[in-house]
Amino acid sequence: MATQHLWRAQLRSYPANGHTAFLPQIRKVVLEFCQHYPSSTNTRTFISNHLERVARQNPHIEFVVRQRNGHEPIARGFYANGRDKVIPLNKLEVTGIERKVELLMDSSGAKIRPLKGARTVESTTESARGVWSGLHVDTPFTI
Amino acid sequence: MGHVSRRLYSSLAVSTAHLKHFPPREATLRTKKATFDPETWAALQPPPPSALVAFSHRIGLGAVLTTPAAVQRACTHKSFLNLHTRYYPLSPPPPNNANLAVLGNALMGLFASEHLHATYPHLPTRVLKAAVSAHVGPLTCASVAQEMGAVPLLRWHRQPSTPTSPALLHSDALASIPRALTALVYQERCLASARKFVYSFFLGRRVDIRAMLKFRDPKRALMETVAKFQREPPKSRLLKETGRFSNSPIFSVGIYTGTDQLGEGFGSSLKMAEYRAAEDALHRLYLTRTPAHRLTLPSSTFGEDANIYSLTDSAPYTPGELGESEALYASSGRSGILAPRRRVLEVES
Repeated sequence: MATQHLWRAQLRSYPANGHTAFLPQIRKVVLEFCQHYPSSTNTRTFISNHLERVARQNPHIEFVVRQRNGHEPIARGFYANGRDKVIPLNKLEVTGIERKVELLMDSSGAKIRPLKGARTVESTTESARGVWSGLHVDTPFTI
Repeated sequence: MGHVSRRLYSSLAVSTAHLKHFPPREATLRTKKATFDPETWAALQPPPPSALVAFSHRIGLGAVLTTPAAVQRACTHKSFLNLHTRYYPLSPPPPNNANLAVLGNALMGLFASEHLHATYPHLPTRVLKAAVSAHVGPLTCASVAQEMGAVPLLRWHRQPSTPTSPALLHSDALASIPRALTALVYQERCLASARKFVYSFFLGRRVDIRAMLKFRDPKRALMETVAKFQREPPKSRLLKETGRFSNSPIFSVGIYTGTDQLGEGFGSSLKMAEYRAAEDALHRLYLTRTPAHRLTLPSSTFGEDANIYSLTDSAPYTPGELGESEALYASSGRSGILAPRRRVLEVES
């Protein structure tokens, strides 16, 4: 029987975030606003009054504020897997903006996939009790 | 964001708020010889201090790496010096993580080896080495650096392969970051803290050690192992069967030493089931695992004072058991070499 060689430089382990230590996947949150348009008013209020508190409570995230005149306000989150999420803030109140920023901070950056359908088994380890076996029951089926 | 614009945004976009001079003077020079490459200029700029501080807090070392300069040192690969001296020959070279990476690599090897040897005392040596590589090897280190979010902080320069050294890859440069961090934790705190750091990020990850344990002839290997332990020779017995002579039979075979069952396997033929039973028996032996509460590690004897020549009363140490040496032949590492059968010397009583 041909056995596969183990090339030691290709051996690796797979992530288990949270088993021993938890690494938040959010890296950076960028808030872009316009100085003049009224749709950015709530965003400007949030940046002036609440952003510093949020930033101090989350020292693991880099917060960036960018002025972008003539454009709608957005919040953009950058994640460790290289993806980013963009949320428009133009129709939100100040509390809504804070909730969207919290959503960005809590997210993992993974692509959102439908829950039902093709996602049947997501476990990477064997089951604790083992797969059911018809031979290992008290009275196996006989015709 | 499309993948092209995202790559441009992430790899070439440089935050400029922390730079002393922006736009750079060389970009606005109007001489005949003025050549300004914005991509190279972007690669030479340091990451913003806020990103470095956020990184240190994200990995839980906010109190250990107090200055952005310490994080920057850990994230600067020594290949970056080539690029830096070419464009800024008069400024001092930035500190790099080469020495730290070497020290950290040695520490990670120590912690992983002792942990795996204490956890799996009977694991064969080659498999133990493979398991250590899987836990703290170059690919894992690069993966951990990526999950920590160190990719935009890394400063390196691609090196082509030379007659004396291979090409430098992005994953090799990334892998130096967690090693440097381990060494920094060891320098700033103590060995126990460095061990805790390595446990948190490397030894809690998922590795399939069973897949590394392969036998060319498990039945023969089991026969020799049982003889070494001076038990009765293994005998396989058919436990359950169904569907014989049909197109999907299932046989369940157990392998016994006397009345003690060593392993059980199933298969669609008798030979296959017996093979799997022998493999199962060998896995149950070589993959025996010490429970976490009974794990004793040699490096736990290094206390705060780190005097290795005197016993410390604060942490009593009972050494773990040494595992049985494995059956040397019939392991799949040897290609076509089967050692001759061992002759048992008869001692005149």
